[in-house]
Amino acid sequence: MTDLPDLSSPTPRRAEALRLHRKLTPIWSARPGLRGVLTTNNNNLVGGIFLAAATLFFVIGGILAMLIRAQLATPGSAFMGPEAYNQVFTMHGTVMMFLFAIPFFEALAVLLLPSMLGTRDMAFPRIGAYGLWVYIFGGSAVILAMLLGLSPDGGWFMYPPLSSAAFSPGIGPDVWLLGISSIEVSAIAAAIEVVVTVLRYRASGMSLSRMPIFAWYILIVAVMILTAFPAMILGSLLLELERAFGLPFFQADNGGDPLLWQHLFWLFGHPEVYIIFLPAAGMMATILPVMARTKLLGYGWVVAAAVSLAVLSFGLWVHHMFTTGIPHLALAFFSAASTLVAVPTAIMIFSWIGTLWKGRPTFDLPMLWILGFFATFVIGGLTGVMLALVPFNWQAHDTHFVVAHLHYVLIGGYVFPMVAAIYYFQPVIIGRTRFFKIGEVAFWITVPAFHVTFLAVHLVGLMGMRRRIWTYDEGQGWTVINLIASVGAFVMAFGFALVILDVVVNALVAPRSRRNPWKAFTLEWATSMPSPMYGFASIPVVHGRYPLEMDPGLPVSIARGEGLLADTSRNRRETLVVSTTDGTPAQVAILPGNSWLPFTLAVVTSTSFLAPLVGAYMLAVAATTGIVVVALIWAWTQGSRTDEGLIDVGHGLRLPTAWEVPDPPGWWGLLMLLLADSVLFGSLLFGYAFLWTIAPNWPPPSYLNPGLAMPALALVGAAALVAGPRLAARAVLRQGRAWGGIGLAGLGALALAGAAASVWLLRPNPTGHAYDATLWVLAGFVLLHTTIAVIMIGYLLARVIAGYLSPRRVGEARIVQLWADYTALTSLVALGAAWLPGAFP
Amino acid sequence: MKDILRLSLPLTIWLVSFSAIYGLHGVLCQFDWSGLSGPFGMLWGRLVLVAAWAVAVVLQAMTLVVLLTPRFGGPPGFMRSTTLTLAIVALVAAAWTMFPVAVLSLCL
Repeated sequence: MTDLPDLSSPTPRRAEALRLHRKLTPIWSARPGLRGVLTTNNNNLVGGIFLAAATLFFVIGGILAMLIRAQLATPGSAFMGPEAYNQVFTMHGTVMMFLFAIPFFEALAVLLLPSMLGTRDMAFPRIGAYGLWVYIFGGSAVILAMLLGLSPDGGWFMYPPLSSAAFSPGIGPDVWLLGISSIEVSAIAAAIEVVVTVLRYRASGMSLSRMPIFAWYILIVAVMILTAFPAMILGSLLLELERAFGLPFFQADNGGDPLLWQHLFWLFGHPEVYIIFLPAAGMMATILPVMARTKLLGYGWVVAAAVSLAVLSFGLWVHHMFTTGIPHLALAFFSAASTLVAVPTAIMIFSWIGTLWKGRPTFDLPMLWILGFFATFVIGGLTGVMLALVPFNWQAHDTHFVVAHLHYVLIGGYVFPMVAAIYYFQPVIIGRTRFFKIGEVAFWITVPAFHVTFLAVHLVGLMGMRRRIWTYDEGQGWTVINLIASVGAFVMAFGFALVILDVVVNALVAPRSRRNPWKAFTLEWATSMPSPMYGFASIPVVHGRYPLEMDPGLPVSIARGEGLLADTSRNRRETLVVSTTDGTPAQVAILPGNSWLPFTLAVVTSTSFLAPLVGAYMLAVAATTGIVVVALIWAWTQGSRTDEGLIDVGHGLRLPTAWEVPDPPGWWGLLMLLLADSVLFGSLLFGYAFLWTIAPNWPPPSYLNPGLAMPALALVGAAALVAGPRLAARAVLRQGRAWGGIGLAGLGALALAGAAASVWLLRPNPTGHAYDATLWVLAGFVLLHTTIAVIMIGYLLARVIAGYLSPRRVGEARIVQLWADYTALTSLVALGAAWLPGAFP
Repeated sequence: MKDILRLSLPLTIWLVSFSAIYGLHGVLCQFDWSGLSGPFGMLWGRLVLVAAWAVAVVLQAMTLVVLLTPRFGGPPGFMRSTTLTLAIVALVAAAWTMFPVAVLSLCL
């Protein structure tokens, strides 16, 4: 481990700021024109496009909301029929949850996180660009389907049997299942990027305890995405397999159970609420102390509360299922856990109140929206505690009270802080200071109108109005309240439109912002405004949590190149990788330049998801092949054929490049991907166990008897798959021949694949019973992973032949080894789960 | 990385215990094992669930004790104090969220 450099010592390269700016700009800039937009992977541009797309989807979701309120404004309304209304409310929830809420904070994270952490870009810029385009293609397909009248109409959580082929025969549910799944792939890509960035890509000396509080929040949220979304992806896969091929996972007559969908959906869905709330809370904890001209009270307590909230939120999913007939004792578990989450939430709220108390608050526009948050979110939190209590929940379930509660939490707890964040970070993002004061007017229109709307919706819910009904009778006593709610909603929409107008007008014509207009202490304010494409002219060295307070001259010294990696002579995109805990410089990451690869991979990925919607299965197969080809080209363009050795990063410090270390960022990225994959696998095992114990019509008519040969083949294959990459890596380290190890690994993967294929061959009909369907998915999981293992092993062989590996450059072998280990382990577990009931009937 | 793992450990153990007891309860009810009479006039189902709860609480307490030691708790500082806070949170969570196994009807 390398010691931190001492910046007080004379530096050999005191580069003048402008000269450095002129050298760094062409290295980091996008190409001109549309080609530049499509090929960029710089976080400033990718984040900006992400933000614009998410805002557009917010506008679409808002228009849908207005259609809903127009329909409900009067009893017996003929504005929409039930078919159209069902599509509109389904799409409103879907667009707001999947196309706006998550992408919007991901966009802000991509835009701001590198600056906050003192690094030049995200860890995997191409993956960030890939995620952006997959999101845009998937979201556009969902919206296009709506415009064609083909959108889903079963509610944003798509419960079967309503969403099953028997009751929803059109392609609406398929649009939802495939379109949303592709967007979740995008979210997982972004989450992997965020985790590795926060853990490894920071300023020199920025230990975990010195990180900006938003970095903690977004790290926690990214881990939550990796551990919550896979359950939903699995659920979508199972439902699509049922709809398209008749595998009866959710059909009670054939051993399935519709409740399995609810479990899988809410295993994702409840953490999702906190996935949305926590980034907003991170923004609160970032902005509020600056607005109060003080520091966050109880930084450590807030971090502990955020971690607690994140993990506890995974123990709440059944509180969305209190009325499904689950035994009281089980309900009590989740009711208790639901009440417990109020404690860490309260710790955060009291931290913010205490920060306000000890500071000298100013009432600039971001602060107004923060106060709007307080007034709204606390009410939403308290109605949440009410709904966590089983007896009340039984009364209020599926009424407009729940609708009002979730809007208080999501708009008050998410949208208001995000508006505050946009205004607060406007100088960093667009380099303009606010000139036109439309925003204040917008605030005083939006927040009161929100409360008029949703207090009324609470009331009408308590009076018994159920959600998702397309109309109601005049005599039910809901007429005036609904009219008030609808008027309030339209006024609120006008207010949000003014916010967007305000930001756009200020972006176009307001004067340039000076550096750090809020007098904040964190690194994102240390660059010129807006943040240049390269972020920092040199990587800062920090000695505390508030670097600009400790050294007000830091921005100037960074710009002059007095930090690390100010040497532009290598003419490539370089940034610093640090040790996880204490932020000691460890490696130099070489980031990829502009490329068509992310866009191209997004095109084939989205095609593989969306082609089945129109029955183009061969196109889907071709696109899947395209994914493999583009991914291999992508990987091939990384790395080096020569050893570079230690390179000078400034101040006498010499570090290896990330291509010449045993734990390159790619290894960390794969580790995070495997975390998500293991959750998907665990969810599959949970589903299997759930059907086994809870679903009707079990046990199945017969079990799969594996005999002895297939288990033996699987064990030998797994052993070879584990041993092979190790032998190959050892051979590379000793400059020997790696072919033997690579060949052994390939044979091991093929043996495991053969054992898995035997499951399909021995049980050829997966449509008869949920047991057979589950066996097919378990074997399919093994086949998919072993196929990828074979491809990776072949790729490793090609890289060895081409000279990309050496005793110093062994990272790629370790990446293949990690995948092989995981594949061997999960394959044995999956095949064991498939075979054990038949082996010991 | 060890610091991150230590930080994640206590509440992960809680999540596993919580899920396991929920699953155990499902199995006991589904196969009608909960109604079998056990010692001291108690039902076997109740005894098994309370024992599982006790194991979960003891496990969390042991995790806290282990993390208090210098050997496993890591060096003093922010990460250690946050880890210990989370270990206490996990202990309270184990006691509170699984408490219903002792008092509520089993499979109603």
